[in-house]
Amino acid sequence: MLYLQQKNRIMLPVYCPSCHAQLKVKCLKCESCQTEVNGSYDLPLLALLSLDDQQFILQFVKNSGSLKNMANELKLSYPTVRNLLNEIILTIEKYEK
Amino acid sequence: MKNKNALRYIYNPFEKIAGWQALIYGLIIACLSGWIGKQAGLMFDGAIDAHFGNEVSYYQAFMMLFIDIACVGAVMYLAGLLVTRNFRFIDLLGTMTLARAPYLLLSLTGLFVTIPETAELLANPALIFSNPGFLIFIALSFPAIIWVIALMYNAWKVSTGAKGSKMIIAFIAGLFVAEVISKILISILI
Repeated sequence: MLYLQQKNRIMLPVYCPSCHAQLKVKCLKCESCQTEVNGSYDLPLLALLSLDDQQFILQFVKNSGSLKNMANELKLSYPTVRNLLNEIILTIEKYEK
Repeated sequence: MKNKNALRYIYNPFEKIAGWQALIYGLIIACLSGWIGKQAGLMFDGAIDAHFGNEVSYYQAFMMLFIDIACVGAVMYLAGLLVTRNFRFIDLLGTMTLARAPYLLLSLTGLFVTIPETAELLANPALIFSNPGFLIFIALSFPAIIWVIALMYNAWKVSTGAKGSKMIIAFIAGLFVAEVISKILISILI
């Protein structure tokens, strides 16, 4: 909604399209020498968040963690931005369990 | 889409406005409502009340508004502390004050209303139907009060960030207590 320019990017799939379970990383490849590393790796926690949430976190860091600056940038009220942050915190806590 | 957004801001402008900004707008609108209401004989004699009544002075009219805003701010803040601790008083006070904005419409409508004498009305209740201004006022007052309560609910929800049934119960209880306390204070102090 807020970050339309990001929507055109190809998103990293995090859930199985068949059974909706969380996906794991099976293979990583070096584009330079074509070496492939196989295994079963967890996706980083931030990658599990929605694109909007990831963009929010990036903006939050860029604004030195200032909700006031974020509110000005997003043209939203301070408590609305704080509530968005609280939602992300809840989602992260859910993934951490 | 634009109309949908406009409609959203009518009942929840607090996604965009809160804190000091909302408080300043809210106080300006409240002062205008109080001043116009005084001309129209309309008193804001409770946290969510508006009644026609005896002539009041400007001091009394503005004192009532001050008591209303202070009671809502203080009681809702304490109610907010019961459900969450992660919110700012200024957001709650500002948004709750701005939520009273629809009362300005009631005050303006009040200017065109002539209230029939109680004795006359008791003798002939049909008098109401020959007073279109009063009928329009009554027809407007219900939606206006519902609008104020809806705005207050959204103000409370956005500024506290609370959720669930606990939040709804605290809002209803807080508003009820604010109404009772404001009524008591107005009857004692004014």
